[in-house]
Amino acid sequence: MQSVLASMRALALRPPAAETLRLLHLSAVSEAARKGTREKARKKKVKVEVKKVGFIPHNQRNKKVNVKRADRHVDDSWKQVPKDDCYVGRYYRWPVYSVAEAIQCHRETHHPSMYNVPRAPLNVDIELDMQAEKTTRFVDNFQRMAMIPHRFEHGEERKIIVFTKGNSEVLEAREAGASLVGGVELIKDITGGELLLSDYQYVIAHPNILAELVALRGLMKRKFPNPKSETLGTNLAEMIVKFSSGISYSASKDEYQQNFGLITACVGTLDMDAGKLEENIQHLLQDVNTMRPKREGRFITRVLLKSPPSSEQLKIDPFVYVPEMWDKSSAKVKREGARKQPEPAEEPHEAVATN
Amino acid sequence: MLKNIYVTPLNLLKSATSLQQQVRTTFVLKRKYDPPLHKTNEKPRRMRAKYFIYELVEDTLVKKRPNMEAVLKTFVEGVGDKGDVVSMKPHFVYNKLLLPGLADYNTPENVAKYAKTEAEKSAVKHSSAYAQRTVNMLESIVLAVVMNKDEPWVLEPWHIKASLRKAGFHCREECITLPKERIEGPDLKKENKDFYCTVTINKLEQARLKCRLHHWSTDPSERLPYVLEHWKQNSEPLLEVGLPQKPGKEKK
Repeated sequence: MQSVLASMRALALRPPAAETLRLLHLSAVSEAARKGTREKARKKKVKVEVKKVGFIPHNQRNKKVNVKRADRHVDDSWKQVPKDDCYVGRYYRWPVYSVAEAIQCHRETHHPSMYNVPRAPLNVDIELDMQAEKTTRFVDNFQRMAMIPHRFEHGEERKIIVFTKGNSEVLEAREAGASLVGGVELIKDITGGELLLSDYQYVIAHPNILAELVALRGLMKRKFPNPKSETLGTNLAEMIVKFSSGISYSASKDEYQQNFGLITACVGTLDMDAGKLEENIQHLLQDVNTMRPKREGRFITRVLLKSPPSSEQLKIDPFVYVPEMWDKSSAKVKREGARKQPEPAEEPHEAVATN
Repeated sequence: MLKNIYVTPLNLLKSATSLQQQVRTTFVLKRKYDPPLHKTNEKPRRMRAKYFIYELVEDTLVKKRPNMEAVLKTFVEGVGDKGDVVSMKPHFVYNKLLLPGLADYNTPENVAKYAKTEAEKSAVKHSSAYAQRTVNMLESIVLAVVMNKDEPWVLEPWHIKASLRKAGFHCREECITLPKERIEGPDLKKENKDFYCTVTINKLEQARLKCRLHHWSTDPSERLPYVLEHWKQNSEPLLEVGLPQKPGKEKK
């Protein structure tokens, strides 16, 4: 109130100049401007429509929300180690079998006098910790082909198309069991649209046809033969055998638990020799371990041997075959080696296949 | 008379002082708003009401107490043998070991006092703390022994071992003693009939295991109809000998 009086007094004292009067904003100009902004603000306001949701029966409601799920990484290390020769399993840690023992246990239950399925498939469940370098990052789902030394009937249809020039190589590939072998004429067929590449799961090529094969690069995309995935090479017969007999497996993350990955693969049948099955398991585990992220801690957390129709799951120790923890120094050495010569990086793959 | 009445409560109060115990109701608190620092050589400012708002940091009443050690006076099932120093949760030690007089506090004197003598060491009654529990559990179950319906078989210890493993019991083949009679099959007359085998734990404790024979076919259409909870149903003995003696059944 006092300040208003003071200003009034000031006005009264000063000569009534035009400049001072303008400060009072007596004109309607400013008001008009404000009118527009108010309109704008009113338009900006979006009406929030509340949709009425009718009654949803309880069995059709989304069950996924707010469900507490158990951790799928099972840790029983807090339990006791059994000391007796006969014990109740639930109070103790899971027994860890050697592969030979586990196979023997499955053979017992599948014996003709019990289940009578001696040729049952032996499945391996590999549980993975999918956490990548950071805790918030995870390894992507992956699908790979593990080369195994002892082949068995996997029951999948695997068509292999082989591109090569020389006659001897064509014969070699045919004998090895390729579905289709051809050279330049095959490439023409494909570009002409008479042959569909999508009918064939695997494409293998000899380096002598590589120049002509470049025309198909756009059609093949990721299937295009390259030495890294071992689809391009001189030893055709070996490559074909690998792709027709290898274990194709895929690791998938749990829907609700991102750090839990599971691989289910068949490594053979129970009537195979236990040593051969063990070697197959070893090669599968080594192949899985190549996907290990560069971080501390375990990648493969648990390996179970299963065999239908029995529901038994027998735990085996995978760290006999692959290193348990990530070795920082070895990774460094590998990287340095790769920088010096690009070839040695592929060597371990070949070693796996030839074993 | 009056004097007497007055004297007794005074004495009671005095004796109560010696029983005083620490009350474990400590709460660790933290101020929600930190009061500002006062200037040097000046009095601290008057605290405002908000400086008396606290947040709970720790409630010692609900804190997990560390394990407690005790020396066992006798063999206690599931805990240990005489003279063993065991470390368990404090409430378990107080209520289940110290109060019933099965154990004493872990002191060098007590360890020496309750150590096993030579005579006791030689007369072993229990092979391990948990063997009796295993015996109890083995005797309480009815083990399903699933044998093939189409292939001929003779029952062997490893069949029982595999069946036990399926039921969650792990044992060695040497532990299992079959009945003396040969059990052969397939024989649908033997379906759902009982026999007993003996399981010897650590070559000492013996458990009588009730087994029930079932037939299973690999071909699903050949399988016998599924029986829900077969162990709850009555069944007949497979063998006449080696059974618990029941006068009613023997006459049949």
